[in-house]
Amino acid sequence: MLLRAVEYVRPDSPVEAIAALRSSRHARVLAGGQSLVNVLKHRVAACELLVDISRIDELRFIDAGQDGSVRIGAATTYDELDRSSQLRASHPRVAEVASGTVDQQVRCRGTIGGNACYNDPASNFPPLLVALGATMRIESADGPREVDAEDFFFAPFETAVGTGELLHSIVLPPLSGRGVGHSSILLAQDSWALARACAVIEANGVVQDVRLVLGCVGPAPVRARAVEDRLRGAQLSAGAIEAAVPAAREGLTPVSDVHASAEYRLEMAVVVAQRALLQAAEHLSA
Amino acid sequence: MSSDAAAIHAVEVTINGERYERPALARQLLVHFLRDTLGLRGTHIGCDTGNCGACTVICDGRLTKSCMLLAAQADGCEITTVEGLAPARGDLTPLQAAFNAEHGVQCGYCTPGMLMSASFLLERNPNPSEHEIRRGLKGNICRCTGYENIVRAVQSAARAAAAATAKGNS
Amino acid sequence: MTDFTAPDAVVETIESVQQELGRWTGKSIPRKEDRRLLKGQGQFVDDAWMFRQGYVHFLRSPHGHANIRSIDTTKAEAVPGVYATMTGAEMAEQCEPFFRIAPDPAARIEEYPLALKARFQGDAVAVVLAETRELARDAAELIEVDYEPLPAVVDAVRAADPRSPVLHEEIGSNLAWHGIYDYGDIDWALENADHVVRIDRLHFHRFSSTPLECQGALVNWDPGTDQIEILSNIQFPMFATQVLGPSLGVGQDQLLWRYQDSGGAFGNKIAMYPQIAALALISRKAGRPAKWTEYRSEHMLSCGMGNERTFLDIEVPVMRDGTILGFRMRAFDDAGAYLHYEPLGAVIWSQVVPGCYRFKHVNVDYTETLTNKCPTVPNRGYSRLQHLWMIERLVDTVAHELEFDPVQLRKLNYVQPEDYPYETPNGCIYDSGDLPLTLDKALALIDYPSARERQRSVASSGAGKRIGIGIGSTLDSGTNNFGQARIINPDLPFSGNGEAATVRLDLYGEIFCTLGSSPTGQGHETTAAQVVADILGASPADVRVHAGFNKEHGAYVGFSGTYASQFAVTGINAAIGAARLLRAEIATVAAAALQCEGADIQLEAGVASYRGDGERAIPLIGIANLVYANNAELPPEVADGVSLNCRYVYRPPFQVPDPVTKRGNLTLTYAVQIHACVIELDEQTGQVRILDYGAVDDCGNRINPQIVEGQVHGATGLGVGAALYEAFNYSEAGQLLNASFYDYHAVTALDVPAIKTDHLESPSPFTPNGAKGMGEGGGAPLATICSAIQDALGPGAELVSDSHNPPERVWRLLRSTGARGVEVQTR
Repeated sequence: MLLRAVEYVRPDSPVEAIAALRSSRHARVLAGGQSLVNVLKHRVAACELLVDISRIDELRFIDAGQDGSVRIGAATTYDELDRSSQLRASHPRVAEVASGTVDQQVRCRGTIGGNACYNDPASNFPPLLVALGATMRIESADGPREVDAEDFFFAPFETAVGTGELLHSIVLPPLSGRGVGHSSILLAQDSWALARACAVIEANGVVQDVRLVLGCVGPAPVRARAVEDRLRGAQLSAGAIEAAVPAAREGLTPVSDVHASAEYRLEMAVVVAQRALLQAAEHLSA
Repeated sequence: MSSDAAAIHAVEVTINGERYERPALARQLLVHFLRDTLGLRGTHIGCDTGNCGACTVICDGRLTKSCMLLAAQADGCEITTVEGLAPARGDLTPLQAAFNAEHGVQCGYCTPGMLMSASFLLERNPNPSEHEIRRGLKGNICRCTGYENIVRAVQSAARAAAAATAKGNS
Repeated sequence: MTDFTAPDAVVETIESVQQELGRWTGKSIPRKEDRRLLKGQGQFVDDAWMFRQGYVHFLRSPHGHANIRSIDTTKAEAVPGVYATMTGAEMAEQCEPFFRIAPDPAARIEEYPLALKARFQGDAVAVVLAETRELARDAAELIEVDYEPLPAVVDAVRAADPRSPVLHEEIGSNLAWHGIYDYGDIDWALENADHVVRIDRLHFHRFSSTPLECQGALVNWDPGTDQIEILSNIQFPMFATQVLGPSLGVGQDQLLWRYQDSGGAFGNKIAMYPQIAALALISRKAGRPAKWTEYRSEHMLSCGMGNERTFLDIEVPVMRDGTILGFRMRAFDDAGAYLHYEPLGAVIWSQVVPGCYRFKHVNVDYTETLTNKCPTVPNRGYSRLQHLWMIERLVDTVAHELEFDPVQLRKLNYVQPEDYPYETPNGCIYDSGDLPLTLDKALALIDYPSARERQRSVASSGAGKRIGIGIGSTLDSGTNNFGQARIINPDLPFSGNGEAATVRLDLYGEIFCTLGSSPTGQGHETTAAQVVADILGASPADVRVHAGFNKEHGAYVGFSGTYASQFAVTGINAAIGAARLLRAEIATVAAAALQCEGADIQLEAGVASYRGDGERAIPLIGIANLVYANNAELPPEVADGVSLNCRYVYRPPFQVPDPVTKRGNLTLTYAVQIHACVIELDEQTGQVRILDYGAVDDCGNRINPQIVEGQVHGATGLGVGAALYEAFNYSEAGQLLNASFYDYHAVTALDVPAIKTDHLESPSPFTPNGAKGMGEGGGAPLATICSAIQDALGPGAELVSDSHNPPERVWRLLRSTGARGVEVQTR
């Protein structure tokens, strides 16, 4: 499959990239290209200019802070996340999710920033970033701005990154003893997801705080606040989780497609919610 | 519609140790650059969604499906393709020999990409478990072998390399 | 009663051939063709190139069903670099419709290289030839087609309803074929059985093997010679050539087919003739070679898919002891929009009417209909795996409903070792085997008693998991009798089968072999070299087998190709025959040179000697020299009688089946596959995980055991994929919902389990070398996995009625409280 005619530039810095993005109405950021190039092959999206940011060093880094936070450049690949000892130490579940992304070739090219900006409803990182309370740093000609991950994802291909803007980096706050869990129901191994959930729990016997975020059940990651509300302040136990998770169904609008019906996705949202919460509870630091 | 006229890029790459400089349209995929422009036809195309891995090469140390990279993106890169594994008329590499011995080849169409992924895996992890091998090859679809003998070939190549190392150390 | 006793002369030949094979035949020698493939030196269809070639892009219908009011190619033709465009109407003026296998009324369907009406999403309506692939695609987007969308029909049963939309108005309905297969006395059996098990509906889904290399062809209609050179990975070129000659109005000698390597086929690449015809016509128009490499998404939409079949109203008479007497049912097969190889599938299944069992009374009311879906093509296990899956579902259901042990019920009903050769109710002859022993070996591979123990312990653990154990017993019927086509259409001039090969001694004593087959990964270069080496006292390394297919330079008969599990019988015995002819010529020349009798000549290591005497010997180069360049040294009666270029056609001993009774021996050999597996089922999600998988194959004498095992692995991998992950689904409007490898999940190394194998070797008494074809397998994984899911669901559960079981379907089965889809009537 062959792309339509298109122009291509490879800027050396974010500033140059933003200038290029502003130069054309149909400019798109080309990061890893593991989704975008396929979209262009199938000629289902308009694009006149590809702005290749994959080799901008300023966008490729993993910086662990003293406090346990970690800053990740948008053009950092899954493979770099998978192999980062810093990330393995500070946010092991994030590294684990990266290592289960599609396949080795995609991990070598695909980027966390591209994953976030593509915002496929079945994708793995958006619900995780929301659950972790990540901060997204966006740059534009007007300078940088920061957006909570929760306010970042709108719909497929639609995020807080506007025309002429560039996702620069993502900050994961320190876990500080919180437990992280993620669970997916996949069509096949490391494959298409039918339901996803990510959970972060802070507890000392009693749940101090909890975030539960679901994927595949709406145009963007969904926070299961009804479940969170039931758990917050409760004694943490498998029984409490089991009692709380049916509320995950509230407000969900999954779609039916060739892989599964909306009904199945809805029921599976409850299953993965429970599994993610149990896993998060297991991974609480003493 | 954009025009190709303004979108011709000089692409300079080193492939299997040989330097090439050729013009490429911005929209040209690396795999077509390799096959149609340079005539390196060992790298194959099996799909148009980046799933099958028949086009896998190693580009600047990254295992890469060359159908999801523009030729222009590879400018300045060092690339290894299947033709770079063993000399055209010389002996097979130990990995290739293991594919032959274990019958890891049937139609041979996925084979070049499969070899690139297996090489990449063994370089990173010389002693992989069966599950690690299957994970390492997950991005390469084979419709003939059920993967069984490909997994065996990689295991056998890993064992042979370990034995050779042990012998060298003793 | 069919005469299945081989004539004495045949038996004698069989024994003597098998004595000559053994030094190399039967050994797992590494494949000769691997070296080039491992180095990226294979020559696949897209690797071909011709001077002045243009690239072809087919414009395909986005609609499932639509009239074409008009097509305007003006804008496309104006694009610089576009050499030519053509529409369906233009092509229809320049060729004759393709010939039809079907009888009336479907025989009246007029099909041309491009559609005049869009009958499925992906139907090609126009074609562009341009300087580059990019330009061809860009220009195709500029072709303006005015479609009038029509209602679609995507279900084979509904397509038979006269109120449904009609695809081909010229035949007035959607009927591709209808016939009743009636053997024994099913009414008597149903009346006299102790139990009758009734199953409402079983559905075998659509999928295909999706070879990793898509279709392709480079076609040049030479204006000077009027020869049409066709470089294409089509897997049955000799079928296509018989269709294309009359359609294009050219002689068979003008169609020059060839290719070297093919990236897998599995039946899917059999029916490429419409595309090749289109390439030929646009090549002639533009005066340039036309090259087409199918895109994957194009392949998914339009290459062809396996037969989808719905079985309705199945009735199974069963005796108190578990003896199953047979079955009655209605079958609806979905041909898709055109009959490219169909309705052959409507008879092919009857090669295995009773499956592995001694069923005596069978009645099948068989209908094949046209639907607004991609045309059906053969797909590994063609038309038999659907039927074999149905039979295994039926046997498992009898076991579950009547509380028989599934192992014992199978063993009771299997054809027994002493029954061979066994005549089935429709006159097919099962050649050899030991089904109970094969099943025991499969159960041993998965450690059946431990698996049952594990099933009990997991069930009582409350972990939300269940274990299921499944069995699938299937047959791979190999070497077709093409006479069965007459059961479909009595007017067809086809019967028997065969394959050709040449074995030659070249000028300096080189041994080389050409085959009529068109290999797609089965290792023909290696296995042919093994048998030829045995016959000629050489080593496989000394036998060069020319790669691929070449109609001009190779050997062929009308059946030549690679399909229907037959190379080990037809191709190999052709090579054996040709090598024996060459050996006789070598002996004749050597006897003249060494002044002895031909019978005294021994051939060993490239030297012909008088009874092994190294002093009285002549090397092959000397033999070749005498014949090619030094013939005055030979007595004239010897020189005139040899060519060292020996062609042999192997012809299996078939008779023409009876189209009226639908009886006859339809295939020569029956390889057996019995698989067993252990699965874990997640009660919350319906996900199935295969914990253990065993496959036992019995294909008679194996020429190269490692290659046989590789075929078993491959057939298992594809079957596992189909059972759990791979399906083509259409919307009601005829839109394909999984038209790429994104949505059609071709199984990966993580999805296919480790496969344990074992084997039996029950030589076929009907083939000279005792081998049976085995490449297709019988789709055993589909039966095995469905059986395991049913086992995990436990007593009283709904019937596993679909061959495809993704998580949601299993989840629904787990929760089903409604109709079970099965009932039992006991007297």
